[in-house]
Formats: sequence, structure tokens, C-alpha cells
Amino acid sequence: MDEELFRQTYSIHGRDFDKAGETAAHIKQILRELGLDAGLVHRAVIIAFEAEMNVVMYADEGTVTFTLTEDALKLEIADQGPGIEDIELALTEGYSTATDQMREMGFGFGMGLPNIRKNSDDFNLVSEVGKGTTVSAMIQLNSSA
Amino acid sequence: MPELTHGFKIDRDKCDGHLACMRACPTQAVRVREGKAHVLPDLCVDCGLCLTACPSGAIRAETRSFAEFDKFKYKVAVPSPVLFGQFPMAVGPGHIVAGLLGMGFDAVWDFTVELALVNRAILDYVERWEGPFPLLSVSCPVVVRLVQVLYPSMVDQLIRVQVPRELAGLEAKQKFSEQLGIPPDDIAAIYITPCQAKSISILKPAEGAKSNLEGALGISDVYNNILALTHTLQEDQVQLASNHSICSGAMLRWTINEAQGQILQRHRYMSVTGLANVIQVFDDIEKGKLRNIEYLECDACWGGCIGGNLTVDNIYVTRSKLHRLLAEVPAAAPQVQAEVERRYPATDFSLKGRVRRRTTNDGPTDLRERVRRMKVEEAVTRALPGLDCGLCGAPSCGAFAKDVARGTGQRSDCVFLREGRLRELKTTYLSRRKKPPEIGEQFGVSPPPA
Repeated sequence: MDEELFRQTYSIHGRDFDKAGETAAHIKQILRELGLDAGLVHRAVIIAFEAEMNVVMYADEGTVTFTLTEDALKLEIADQGPGIEDIELALTEGYSTATDQMREMGFGFGMGLPNIRKNSDDFNLVSEVGKGTTVSAMIQLNSSA
Repeated sequence: MPELTHGFKIDRDKCDGHLACMRACPTQAVRVREGKAHVLPDLCVDCGLCLTACPSGAIRAETRSFAEFDKFKYKVAVPSPVLFGQFPMAVGPGHIVAGLLGMGFDAVWDFTVELALVNRAILDYVERWEGPFPLLSVSCPVVVRLVQVLYPSMVDQLIRVQVPRELAGLEAKQKFSEQLGIPPDDIAAIYITPCQAKSISILKPAEGAKSNLEGALGISDVYNNILALTHTLQEDQVQLASNHSICSGAMLRWTINEAQGQILQRHRYMSVTGLANVIQVFDDIEKGKLRNIEYLECDACWGGCIGGNLTVDNIYVTRSKLHRLLAEVPAAAPQVQAEVERRYPATDFSLKGRVRRRTTNDGPTDLRERVRRMKVEEAVTRALPGLDCGLCGAPSCGAFAKDVARGTGQRSDCVFLREGRLRELKTTYLSRRKKPPEIGEQFGVSPPPA
């Protein structure tokens, strides 16, 4: 069944490091309240956190949309940012375009997108240079993958 | 699920529905319906704050009487070190031990060796641990239950090393069984406890196993007996008792806060006391902070076990006395160290069961239903003032919204959602009062002209 049971959209502001992580924390709270399996919650939170950080680090504005059906949990992260030139390269572990300042804060080790992909059962990335990037990640609820 | 046993009883006749217990409860486990408090057993962590808060004396700790242990042939007291700091300075450890023997115990167990064994086991465990940090101490049963109920994702961080009192119970029974030639089942090891929570943890251990102790008596239950007996003791009896038990500095030091910090000197150790503070720190751990702390010692009582709800003296006086006692008694006797060396390799420190998250009974399995509940909860929350007045009988607007969503509370119980609710409350509460004197009468002034 694909019927949507729950949907929530959060807006993320670029360079707002102070509030970064709040969306992921809120999603975690909802998932826990719904009593979803802890491993699954953990995966979803990694996805939400990494995606949120990407928006905070690189884009001006973005949204995280979290939807739930009986079979799956979906996260769609869309931003109006610089876009990604070489998607394959961006998905390589360790590849990063982070500035020194970001690294000092403990980010930008080139694990964000690879981590999102690793924790998703289905992953899709669409990007246009100069316009923005949309990442879609899906986790199946009934699989233990 | 087997019914959870809790150590507190609310006397419905005495309960005036004051809401104090409901407001004091850290896990929001109390509801007040029709002017009477009751507990949601799944959420109760046995902290006892409700008992302290109740202005009507309606909540009492269930305690055992010494007579209940009469069926055992041999009774061994296993006193918490806290006991030794409770008496006037003239009443030393020897008097206290003699007092316990005078009460009818056949022996008193000094668990210095078990404390040293557990300390070493904890150090070993911390050094070998590869899982997520911080590891959490299990010595306070309230903290263990708090993790089970409110921080289920942290249950595997509870250190799986048995507490000293349990090892002491096992060892005491083995030793006296051999010495006296009677089966261990005829021997009772009875913990003299500073708090109700430890007594519950003996009756119903969090890991679901059977305790090595037969039960517990509160310090406040034995205090008067011991004090009365010390006045009649002959000096040789005291001497005899002192020989009977080596009350060492190592054992007393355990009760003074941050005791384990000394053992874990080379590790990142932190100590937190007081339930509100523990909750604050656990919230941080859940957010991913404090990962560099290796061992976290938590006590629900402020100041540690000397602040337990079955102690007699206040914690500052107790701590001061313990410091003075420490200066007078020998540190660890050399035979203690030898005993630790001998027993350590052969001791099984593992908990006999696994501490698991406590499942609450209210959750439907169907995701659709769970989402529906969450939406109801959100909608109710939006309609509420957020004042947490408690007049609905739930501790906060948030808890009330959850109750409504779960079907255990009704919107109409909120005075903001239904004005009639206030009239009902007036009937419930004001009718219980004796008619108050008119204000004018009371202060000797005449009523204002109509």
C-alpha cells in the first residue's frame, strides 16, 4: 500500500550551524514515538542528519520532507544550492569540497552522500549546477536490510 | 508480561488528591482521577519522590519486618556501608554490628572484599568494552529502571557487572552453609538498605533473575533497635562484634560520592547524582554527546546513597561522620587484598539475565493506528493552553494529550476545554474540607457592606 500516512516538511537555512541537527532530532523523536525498530530509526536519522548538514553547509535554503506509508519511510531533501557537477565523484567516499572552516567544525569528510546511499534501500540524486540538488532516500519498513 | 512489583502503596483513604506526587514524578507515572492518585506501573521507576512529596502521608514504602525472616535457620545481615554513618559518633562500627547481632541476626557480613572485587571487574570491563560509551553503572536500581523506561536505546550501555551486595549475598550463604553444615536455603542474607529502590531490586531484579539476597530491611527499620541496644551492651560484646567484622575504610569510602573515580583514575569517569541531573545528562547522551566519557556513575538520590529515602540522618551530617570514621578505622586490611586475589579469577560477575527495555502495554502494532494516535495527540496539544496546571489529573498538557490519544484520558477533563470540569473539581475537593471559617470571623473584622 502506498497511501501516505504521515507527511512533514521542514525548512533548513544555509550556514545556520547553530540549529543544524534539529530536523534530524525531530524526525528521530517522531519515529521513536511511533515505535519503529531502533535500527531503522538509526538509519533514517543518519540520512536526515547528513542531508541536513549538506544543505546547511552548501545551500542557501532547502527543505526536508519526511513521509511515511505502511511499507516505507521516505526522505526527500531539496535545496537551492550550487548543484553538483560530477555526481559519481560526489558519491565517492572521502571526496569532499568542504572548506577548512567546515572541517574545523567536524564536517566535510566526504562521507555525507555515501552514508545516505549506504543507509537507504533506494537512493536517487538529481542535480543541476547553479540551481540545486534533490536527494531522495527510501527505507523499507518490513525489511531488515 | 508479568505484573511489575513496585515498592510503594497509595492509601486511597488518606489520599487527598493534592497533585504533589503527580508533579514530583520524573517519569510522569502518576494520574489523579476523581481526586485520588494512582500509578501507571509500566512507567514507575521506584524512585520514591512521590512518597517524599505527598503532604497527606498517603504513600508509604512497603517494608518487611524482621519476623518475616524467622523461617530461616540462620540470618546474615548485609549492611549497606551507609548504615555506619547514621549514628552518633559514640556509636562506632563495633556497636552497630553488636546491635545487629543483638536484634537477632546470627552474623553480620562486611563486604569490603566484594566491593574490591566489583571495582576491579568494572575496571576490566571498561578497558575491554568496544561498544558505545559511556558505560553506565548499575548500582542504583532507579537509574537502571529509568534507562529501561525512558532511555531504551541505552540499555546495552548498562555495565553488565553484578553489584557488590548481590555478590555478598551469594558468598555469605556459601560460607555459612559450609561452616555450619546446613543447606544454603536455610540461610537468609538480608540487606540493610538506605532506600526502598534497592529493596525492590532484590524482590524484583531488573534483569529478571532471582536475587542472591532474601530481602531487605530499611536502615530506618533497624535504627531504633540498634540505638536502644547499644546502651545495654557490655564492652566485651562490642569487642567481640568488632572482631567479628572488619569494618574497613575501603567499605566506608564506597558510600562517599565519586567512590569509583579513584578506581577509574586513568579513565574518563563522571559522577552524577540527583534524578533531575541524571535525566539531564541522559538527554545529552541520547543526543550523541558525552561519547568520550567512559564510565558514568549515576545515583538517583542527591549526594548518592547516603541520601536514600530510608536513611535517618541528613546527608551532610552523614558525610561528615563518615569522613571522621574513615580517619579512625584501618584502610584495607592486607587479608582483604589477598582474598581479592584469590577470589577474582573464580568469581562470576555477570548479571544473571539481560536488562531489557521495558515494554509498555499501550502500543498497538498497526502503524496506521500509531500514526492516528500521534495525530490526535498533536491536535489535542494544539487545543491546550500549555500551562501544565494539572487539573485534568495528568502532570502536563503533553501527558494529557498522550492520554487522550491512547484513550485513557478524555478531552472533557481539561478545564480549558470544558467549563463544567471546574465545577466538578470544586465538588470533589471542596466537599472534603471542613467548612472554613468566614474570613471576617477569622480575623475579627466585619464583612464589607453588601
